[in-house]
Parts: sequence; C-alpha cells; structure tokens
Amino acid sequence: MVSRPPTESQLVEQARNGDEAAYEELVRAHQGIAFRIAYLVAGNSAEAEDAAQEGFVKAYCALGRFRRGAPFRPWLLQIVANEARNRRRSAGRRAALALRAGEEGSSGGAAPSPEGIVLAGEERGQLLEAVNGLREEERLVIACRYFLELSEEETAATLGVRAGTVKSRTSRALAHLREGLGEAHG
Amino acid sequence: MAELDLALRELGRHVEFPPTPDLASGVRRRLAERRRIWWQRPLVIALAVLGVAIGAVLAVPPARTAVLDWLGIRGARITRVEKLPPAPAVGNLDLGRRITLREARRRAPWLLVPSAERVGAPDLVSFSAAIPGGKITLLWGTRRDVHLLLTEFRGEAFIEKLVEPGAKVELLQVDGSRGAWVGGSHVLVYRDRNGLVREDTSRLAGKTLLWQRGEVTLRLEGDFSKQEALRIARSAR
Repeated sequence: MVSRPPTESQLVEQARNGDEAAYEELVRAHQGIAFRIAYLVAGNSAEAEDAAQEGFVKAYCALGRFRRGAPFRPWLLQIVANEARNRRRSAGRRAALALRAGEEGSSGGAAPSPEGIVLAGEERGQLLEAVNGLREEERLVIACRYFLELSEEETAATLGVRAGTVKSRTSRALAHLREGLGEAHG
Repeated sequence: MAELDLALRELGRHVEFPPTPDLASGVRRRLAERRRIWWQRPLVIALAVLGVAIGAVLAVPPARTAVLDWLGIRGARITRVEKLPPAPAVGNLDLGRRITLREARRRAPWLLVPSAERVGAPDLVSFSAAIPGGKITLLWGTRRDVHLLLTEFRGEAFIEKLVEPGAKVELLQVDGSRGAWVGGSHVLVYRDRNGLVREDTSRLAGKTLLWQRGEVTLRLEGDFSKQEALRIARSAR
C-alpha cells in the first residue's frame, strides 16, 4: 500500500504544532506564487525575495491565529503582500515596475490557450504597454486576476481590499485598457 | 469584453517574471535565527544592565564614564561590560553564501563599496539572508588572514554597543553622518527592519569604524589607523 502524501490542512496542522519540516513543504508548494506577488508589489526581485521569505516566517509565527479549515493560500498571500508593500513604502516612491513579455509562454511549452486565442507579438506588446500604463492599483488588479490567475477572494486578500473593490477596480481597469487600445479589443 | 478578457489571459502566459529563488532554505535560516535571538535576548539585556552597574561601581572618573558610557549615535548607547560574549573565529564564522560583487549589488542596491587607493576590489563577497534585507560582507585578504572586513546591512539604527573596559571609543563624523571609532572588541546590538533586536560580535581584534549612511549601517574592521579607516570609509560609493 502506498501512503498518501499529507493534505495541505494536515501540513498546516503539523506546522502549527511546531513541525518545521511540514512547514517547509508548504513553503515549497507556495513559494512560486508568493514570490511573484511580492515581485509585482515590491517592484524588484531582491526586495521580493526578502519580502516573500519574511512573509513565510511571519506566517509561521502567526499559525496559531490561522482559522482551522480555512484556505491557506489567500491567508499566506495577504501576509506576503503586506511585507512587500512595507518594503515598497520604506523605499519611497519609485518608478512602477514595467512588466515584460517574452516570445515563449512563461509556462514553457507555449501550448495554445484552450480558448484558442493567439496574439501576434505586436498586439501582445501593445496590450502589455497599455497594462503598464495603468495606474498602479489597476495594474495590480489586472496582474493578479489575469497574469497570476488569482481568484477574486485571493486578489482581495493580496491587495488588502474587499472583494467588491476588486470587482469595481477590475472593470475600471478593463475600461481604461479599452480606451487606451482604441477599442481594438472592444 | 470577452475578447479583451481572453487576450489578457493569453498575455499572462507570456509575462516574464524573474525565476523564483529557493525560499525554503532562507525561511529555515530565519526561523533558526529568530529562535536564537529570542533565546539570547535576555542575555543581551542582562549584559547591558551589568555593564551599567559595573560602570557605576568602578572608580572611573564620573565625567569620563558619562561620556564613554552614553555616547549617542542615532540613539545608540555605548555600554561597558566586564566581559564580552566570546566571538567566533573568522575562519569558522558563517559569513553567508559566497557571491560575486555584481550579484551583491543586484541583491543589495544600497551596497557601498570603498574605492580608496590601495584598497582594490574585495577578495571575497558574501551574502547572508539571516537578517531581513540581507547582510553583505566584503573581505580583503583571506579567511585566515583578514586585512579588512566591511559588513553592511540595513538596520534602523544601532541601538547599543557593548565594549570591554579597555576599549577606546571616540565619536566622529563620516561624510556628515555620525560614526564611532572603537579600538578593541565590541558587540553591536541593533534593531533590524522588522524591529527585532539583534546582536553582532566584532570579528577581528583590531580597530573598528562604525557609521551609518541613510538606512545602511556599515562596520569596517581591520588593523589600521583612524585616518586610514576614515579615508576608506569616505571613499565608499
């Protein structure tokens, strides 16, 4: 009989009891998304690495306050994003992070999306430029929802706002994008 | 509407993020460090209290004690203690991971590197993620025969320094910011960016120049004259 790997809630429970090895598994499972969020918010990769690490440490220390049975990821992302925001604030105003797109899909094997839409390089560049031109709060909501594919709930936790605000901000951002693109994607 | 939605999702698959570093080992180190600090904190406070008590009891001329024991460097206090906690030998010291100077500058955009004549490029650069924001150590010479050691990190301010009775401490200015010149071993107690109190022991038995530039605390250790140390410190860019 093959033993089943522990579920996330089992790992959380073990970590809560002081099992650092269990917590390390949780770190490995979520470090990709945590780092990307920190990168989006903090604006550079060194600060992002620091913020994500510290976020994981703070989450570990706060596990006692974590509500049993609740989803772990949004809770964690909220802590990490907070760390990243603090770093950005203490670094003062800085030019916003400009996202770049590569030729290949970032997931590696550029499989076409199930919806079958494929943008030409030029269109992609225009769209990305329009996203980079958005106000920071709108750019972040687009990046969370579409680039990192977070749920509305997770986006709300990450940005520290209510789910309703995520909805309204997203539709405002989409309207601005449409304006910026001259209705090309209307 | 639907088309823009899909286009954004498709774009998302092409957006480039830097590769995710291995966070797990850094998290493990920080958790261990946190345990160590919590354990040591009472010790540091006890030492500081002991230092004050000894300072009060010893027959040092009162005026001199006042100056030496309560030198303020951006809120730092200098406290004399009878005996310092043992310092690990440099060769055994965990300086962190060896990296290139270019990598150090990328990880710590705030890093200052001396460009004084006869100093040259550091022979060893290391990065330790044990404290928030990281700590960079630049070493000239070899691990066994250190000529110069420069430690830099972003701490709020150093809040306390413990020095041995024989140590000389002098307040001075380095490029307009306050600093201290210490002859003898010392322990630096400071508050990191998350408000945690940390402790750092000097690595060399020589002299130390300690100063702060903006958010960055710099500590230069070596067997040099004060003028030489200041010359190196002022050349840091």
